[in-house]
Amino acid sequence: MGEVMIPFLLRAIVAIFIISINAAITGTFTVFRNVSFLVAGTAHAALAGAALALILESLGFHVPVLLGGVLFAIFAAISAGYASGRGKVGRREDTNTAIAISFALSMSLAVLFISMVREYAARVWGLLIGDLFLLSYSDLAIMFITTLLVIAITALFYRAFLYLSFDAEAAIASGVKVGLYDYLLLSTIALSVVAIMGGVGAILVFAMFVAPAAIAKRFAKSISRVFLLSFLISFSSGIAGIALSFYLPFSPGAMAAVMVSSTYFVSVFVKK
Amino acid sequence: MEALMEAVVIKDLCCTYDGFVAIDRVNMIVNKGEFVAIMGPNGGGKTTLLRAIAGMIKPQRGYVKVKGEIGYMPQKEHVNFEIPIKVREVVEMGIMSKKKKFSLFSKLSREEKELVNNALKAVDMLKFVERNFTELSGGQQQRVLLARAIATKPDILLLDEPFNGVDLPTQEKIIKLLDNLASEGVSVITVVHNVSPLIHHVSRIALLNRELIAYGKPEEVLTPENTAKTYGIPIPTTVCKEGYIHPLFGDIHG
Repeated sequence: MGEVMIPFLLRAIVAIFIISINAAITGTFTVFRNVSFLVAGTAHAALAGAALALILESLGFHVPVLLGGVLFAIFAAISAGYASGRGKVGRREDTNTAIAISFALSMSLAVLFISMVREYAARVWGLLIGDLFLLSYSDLAIMFITTLLVIAITALFYRAFLYLSFDAEAAIASGVKVGLYDYLLLSTIALSVVAIMGGVGAILVFAMFVAPAAIAKRFAKSISRVFLLSFLISFSSGIAGIALSFYLPFSPGAMAAVMVSSTYFVSVFVKK
Repeated sequence: MEALMEAVVIKDLCCTYDGFVAIDRVNMIVNKGEFVAIMGPNGGGKTTLLRAIAGMIKPQRGYVKVKGEIGYMPQKEHVNFEIPIKVREVVEMGIMSKKKKFSLFSKLSREEKELVNNALKAVDMLKFVERNFTELSGGQQQRVLLARAIATKPDILLLDEPFNGVDLPTQEKIIKLLDNLASEGVSVITVVHNVSPLIHHVSRIALLNRELIAYGKPEEVLTPENTAKTYGIPIPTTVCKEGYIHPLFGDIHG
């Protein structure tokens, strides 16, 4: 390993740090709000958005690929939220069913759009897999700014997100605009997903978001500890993934995801 | 003078979910300091009526007028037990929601902290304030949810099945507390499966099966005709030595 690798390594470590912050904050709310599947749904919607941005680019309209991804992901999150009708009491669709349909629609659109821009398809598929070692400084800057936005929104509306996840019925009765805050929460999750997709890809973002919080929830005795433990699990898996990828010919993101998912199953076994 | 005492006025109320009529033609008045039990079969619209009073659903027709602040205790089944939330945080939720204090950095004022402590003291759960809500027994959880509903000092208290999964001593404690609140002027409206433990305390009973079958004093309402209309079969009753009428539900429950 030569000195030439050091900047790549440092960027990968910074990326894992940022990813872990997202995994702790939005990952925890994803698990609390019981919308784990939304992470996969919005990630694949982002792919469709990115592909559409590339189509527009080939037609001479410049739309940043990331913007396309964010808009589509938020649209998918809001559609799923609308179908599940969290803000309304009484009859509603199961949120995960609504997300599954939105996921199916996004993925079909993604395949459709990618088939229209075959020459750029590699760029979109890159988002599907992601690579921690290929992140540029500007990629990191975008991840960092988006993460700051995610932190700010969550801090400002923390209790609204918590209450609607804990007891939406009581929150509605207390006059909380649960529907509105639910859209905001789902959109924040979508934003967070797209922010870290460049690093670990649309497929593995699922592992990095859901597994750490799911493990943390099993052991933590308070909400703040769920956040802290999720961060530590995500960060240590990421660092271990990077370290192992130096010795084994595997992608660091994939190694991190394998570790964090296996840890989940071990935790289920340990704490039945 | 009578009008001043009215806490809840329901007029020709009809509520629907996606076109399905849950309750229809409901007319009811609940006065200040009254203790009212709502009974009826499953799917009879009891929860819908509470939600309409709480302003959570818009009537399709008719109206609900309430005078004062509402405290609402939904069924425990609505709670997400996957979140390791502290008892104190659950009770704070009632106050924080009403005050729209949603930021991570929002703090309760000294008076508000006092309200939280008093509510927990009233349900005899103050010693559990730093415990994890999800680790409590079912009865203790119900008491914490009740504390959340009363922490805001409501004028009208709405409860949906507060005795579900509750042991007898807890049930007695809750009934005593509700009775005290009513005597202090709070209008207490509760949905119950079995009204018997409450019968010495309630001022009026509403029998609901999509429509309001009967509403009035227990001895006027609990007739074989009314219970047959509500549950499909007449519910036998007995009179206790204090002179109160008790329905004998046995295996028949709403």
